Amino acid sequence: MAMPAASVRSGDEAMLGKAYDLALFRRLWPFIRPHWKLLLAWALFMPATIALELAQPVLFRYALTDHILRGNAEALPFDAGVYMMLVLTQGGSSFCETWFLQLAGQRTMHALRIAIFDHVLAQRAAFFDRIPVGRLMTRMTNDIESLNEMFAQGAITLIADFVKMLAIIVVMLTIDPTLAVLTFLTLPFLVVLVEYARRLMRASFRQIRVRLAAMNAFAQEHLSGIKVVQLLGRSAVAKREYDEINAGHRDAYLGQIRADASMYAIVDAIGSVAIAVVIWYAAGHRRESAAMIGVVVLFIEFTKKFFDPVRDLSQKYAVMQGAMAASERIFQLLDTKDWDGGDGTETMAPSRTSAVSHGRAPAAMQASTPAVELVDVHFSYGAEPVLRGVSVRVPRGATVAVVGATGSGKSTVIKLLTRLYERQLGTIRLAGVDIRDIPLDELRQRITVVSQDVILFAGTLADNIVLGKDYDRAKLEAAAHRVGLDRALERRGDSLEAVVAERGSNFSAGERQLVAFARALLRDPEVLILDEATAHVDPEAEELIERGVAELMKGRTTLVIAHRLSTIRNADLIVVMDKGQVVEQGTHDELVARGGFYASLERTFRRQDG
Amino acid sequence: MSESTSAGSSLGYLKPYRRQLAWGVAMLVLTNVFYLGVPVMTGRAVDALPLKDDTYIVHLVVLMAAFAAATAATRIVSRILIFNAARAAEYDLRSDLFGHLMTLSPSYYRDHPTGDVMSRLTNDVQTVRAMWGAGLLNLANAVVAFVTVLGMMIVTDPIVTVWAILPFPLIYVVGQAMSKRIYSTMRGVQAELGALSSRIQEDLGAIQVIKTYGLEDVRRKGFMESSGKLLQQNMEAAKVRIQLGPSLNTLAALGMAILILSGGRALIHGDMTTGEIVAFSGYLARLVWPTLTLGFMLALVQRGRASWFRLVQLQQTRPEIPDGEGLPLPASDKPARVEIRHLTVKVKDRALLEDIELVLEPGTITAIVGRTGSGKSTLVDAMCRLVQVPPGAVLIDGRDITTLPLASLRAQIGYAPQEAFLFSTTIADNIAMGYGGGSAIPAARAKELETVVGVGKAADLHVDVNEPKVAVATTAAGLDRDLSGMPEGLGTIVGERGITLSGGQRQRVALARALAAAPRLLVLDDSLSSVDAETERKILKNLRAVMHGRTAVLISHRVAAIKDADQIVVLDQGKIVARGTHEQLLAHGGLYSELYRTQLDTDPSAVRTRQEAV
Repeated sequence: MAMPAASVRSGDEAMLGKAYDLALFRRLWPFIRPHWKLLLAWALFMPATIALELAQPVLFRYALTDHILRGNAEALPFDAGVYMMLVLTQGGSSFCETWFLQLAGQRTMHALRIAIFDHVLAQRAAFFDRIPVGRLMTRMTNDIESLNEMFAQGAITLIADFVKMLAIIVVMLTIDPTLAVLTFLTLPFLVVLVEYARRLMRASFRQIRVRLAAMNAFAQEHLSGIKVVQLLGRSAVAKREYDEINAGHRDAYLGQIRADASMYAIVDAIGSVAIAVVIWYAAGHRRESAAMIGVVVLFIEFTKKFFDPVRDLSQKYAVMQGAMAASERIFQLLDTKDWDGGDGTETMAPSRTSAVSHGRAPAAMQASTPAVELVDVHFSYGAEPVLRGVSVRVPRGATVAVVGATGSGKSTVIKLLTRLYERQLGTIRLAGVDIRDIPLDELRQRITVVSQDVILFAGTLADNIVLGKDYDRAKLEAAAHRVGLDRALERRGDSLEAVVAERGSNFSAGERQLVAFARALLRDPEVLILDEATAHVDPEAEELIERGVAELMKGRTTLVIAHRLSTIRNADLIVVMDKGQVVEQGTHDELVARGGFYASLERTFRRQDG
Repeated sequence: MSESTSAGSSLGYLKPYRRQLAWGVAMLVLTNVFYLGVPVMTGRAVDALPLKDDTYIVHLVVLMAAFAAATAATRIVSRILIFNAARAAEYDLRSDLFGHLMTLSPSYYRDHPTGDVMSRLTNDVQTVRAMWGAGLLNLANAVVAFVTVLGMMIVTDPIVTVWAILPFPLIYVVGQAMSKRIYSTMRGVQAELGALSSRIQEDLGAIQVIKTYGLEDVRRKGFMESSGKLLQQNMEAAKVRIQLGPSLNTLAALGMAILILSGGRALIHGDMTTGEIVAFSGYLARLVWPTLTLGFMLALVQRGRASWFRLVQLQQTRPEIPDGEGLPLPASDKPARVEIRHLTVKVKDRALLEDIELVLEPGTITAIVGRTGSGKSTLVDAMCRLVQVPPGAVLIDGRDITTLPLASLRAQIGYAPQEAFLFSTTIADNIAMGYGGGSAIPAARAKELETVVGVGKAADLHVDVNEPKVAVATTAAGLDRDLSGMPEGLGTIVGERGITLSGGQRQRVALARALAAAPRLLVLDDSLSSVDAETERKILKNLRAVMHGRTAVLISHRVAAIKDADQIVVLDQGKIVARGTHEQLLAHGGLYSELYRTQLDTDPSAVRTRQEAV
């Protein structure tokens, strides 16, 4: 997906609203729901923690009015002991509460990560051409982590704060309704203030987000294109432009700093005023003095406990904003659907084990049915036509060599055969059956591609050959032996248990080829597609590879994108491609006799070989 | 450079804002003083409750509200002053860093992945800013709070004070110890996150293999395992993190328990009043936060210093290729003459080019061919001084390029690299960059960053889509037909790294950019490799007209592109192994004809042309 145009972006930003956050939350819910037991445990411990916390000032009041003010010093150690007990049990309860919440959060994130992974892996190859790997990585790592912050210190802890505030109100009302009502006379101010600050911050965060992204994108672009920047002599201009975005980024924080500072300070001040109100009221009721002092002390403590979470609201809000932005990006990715094997209309991933479209019944197999057949196949990447009506027949058991320049469309044929990309017009048949009528998994089992750039995964060579399938060891060793991999490994004093370094960098191109041959041989496919390597290898490796290829191709229908004259000469049929079309085809002798393009090509080849 | 001096110099960035910061800290002191007023008044009012003096209590209540308001006002001002100063210093630091990064040689970026450099420019700068803003504010606040609150407590009752603050050193110690544990478990999380990232990278890089070999289930299992490990490590970290709050809370509560004991006794013995105890509990509550932040902020400063140290390292990296000291080349529109004498280029003791002797006569076309890795791109990079060249090895118009200012040298050259790098701005802006115009911030995007570019100077860089210099280059690069198919034409914004255009289109925009420079030396490094043969032939036909009056160097894998060159140079392992015209080299056999077979594309049109010629 290309960077959305500016207008689209700002549209997104405008959409950010309360309802939008709720919508995101609703989408997140299916991932949270399976962990309801953990949330239930959290919900049980949460009020316990609150109750234990609120009991502390109550005890303090009791100690003050019933023991201290009555001169009962003996009871004080007991009071202090009970106080510590309350604190300790509150600590334990709070630990459990947070633990269950964290566990629920982490499990949700784990599930979400897997969901993204599954989603991404089920996309068609074209999806990966559009979305850079880096972006997909960010979704699965950083974005998930910041979404998790919502559990750690965002929305869900807000619920606990809310319950606590409610409990304080209830307790205060039961102790002294009038005083409670008076104390909370300040509440409307608080609500207005919080709402005002929230709006300020929302606008500010939106701006910060846009500008931070713009600034980082600008820097990233100029760093990765440093060579061009310097060639164009743009270093100074680039700095000037960067400074402007940088200044915008700095200024975007002005509002946030102002809102954050004001919110914190004013909430705290309102808390103090509430205490003043309590005292003022108490002054009018001083007849019941001893009891009144207790109530005042209690109310002062409760008021503090009431205002603290409000004061920290702006911080939590920042975390929430980050989490919401992350989840927005995650769901945007989950909404991008271009299913592998689908026809582009499904909302769910099509089944990989049953065919998508159920067209005609498969044609009866006849001896003359070609193993692979392309009929008038058209394909283009975006607006660029790559294949313009290609027709090729690969008879069963035959070897067909495709020859042509880079960009002639040879490699695209491979991608269409395995349905990595979907042909736009024409038909492709495997043993007489349209490949769209073959389940994707089955199709890719019957056709095996050996590409010239062999990718090795982390693990041992043996792991890389069996690729997670359950082959027995003897079979594995036999395959390694047949393609000559064992000899190549002997040469370097290694075995199949050799560990692969990152992206196989500790194995030569030739050795990697042999691994790929062993992989393919073990899978024993009906049709082999070989993209011959052009990489230069030493003569000894060259010989091993040639023998390996011969072993692999023995008695197997093979379509080879050929770069070696020997391969081309030995093919049963040679197909010459140019600009997405087949320009000539026939056997070596036929084509040479015809004196066309292939013939002249072959002359050049021969001059070198001879 | 030791860490302490480097951290010291980080304050250099705060120097321009020292008055603002001084005011901020002064306000902070006032905040703390006013803030004390609230518990003091509360205590007095509690003591006054049993008395019968209404006006006194009303007095206290009003004072309390006034103190609260004054606290709020000074707190707002101090926070704004200090945080804004930190943001302003952050701007300066970022700007210096970016400016410096733009001068570092491409070789620096070969050794330092963009991701690493970006992380310096984002994470490290942020950490340093946090040290300046939150770090400074909270440390200063902790000190001031301790002085004022402790002072007030001692004045009230020194003995109870000593008892009640006994647990506070523990709060600090435990806080420090736990934040160390948090830090180490967080590193564990980072390690697992790194492992997961590598796994994702591996899988996404191998997506075609995974699909064609049906490895989805296997890879998914591995991914789940890795993700599960991250979950475990995260819970490990959470376990430590969520112990912190309750532990510190317990320690702080210990102070309250002690207050009940010793304060209660003092009250019973008549050494303290009820109000003083109430005030005391307020004081204690006010010490908890500064004690806690002291520990956190010390950690913050440590991290900030580590980040600062990394930034200093970056700033001390000198460009490997410095500007030449000599005068710039005089303005000229004649084709350049380039002479290369005994040029050897080594990177880490590996010779990329060895003893190259080559003259590009003015107005001629020179083609360079060779296998991948034979040194073709290094040779043209050497002419542009994108790699370090020894003095006297490369001359342009008789002047040693190492004596020329880089800007002067590169102004002579129009270079279209193989990997066409476009900026995410309009096509017109991208092309105009060839002659120093154009902006990398598209006008449409500038609107979004309104207050920034609207008042700024980048706007004047935007090129008009009707600019004739751009139009000429566009036509020469064969872009006209493509552009007419885009609704916005030249005003089309190229997506991130050019991905809204096809490979061939991207290359042709880069070519247009090189041509727009009206260069005296045109360098095309395989810059039409993704363009289809037919379009390429058309462009080359155009180019011959454009190249007229220029010296040109071409690297290409296509016979059609090079066969008409005045001289063809064959490179192998960094050495020139053959030179001559196409026919001469083909007749001679050797590497050229071998390349012709294996490396050069077997381009049908080229062969056809050859046949016709024979």
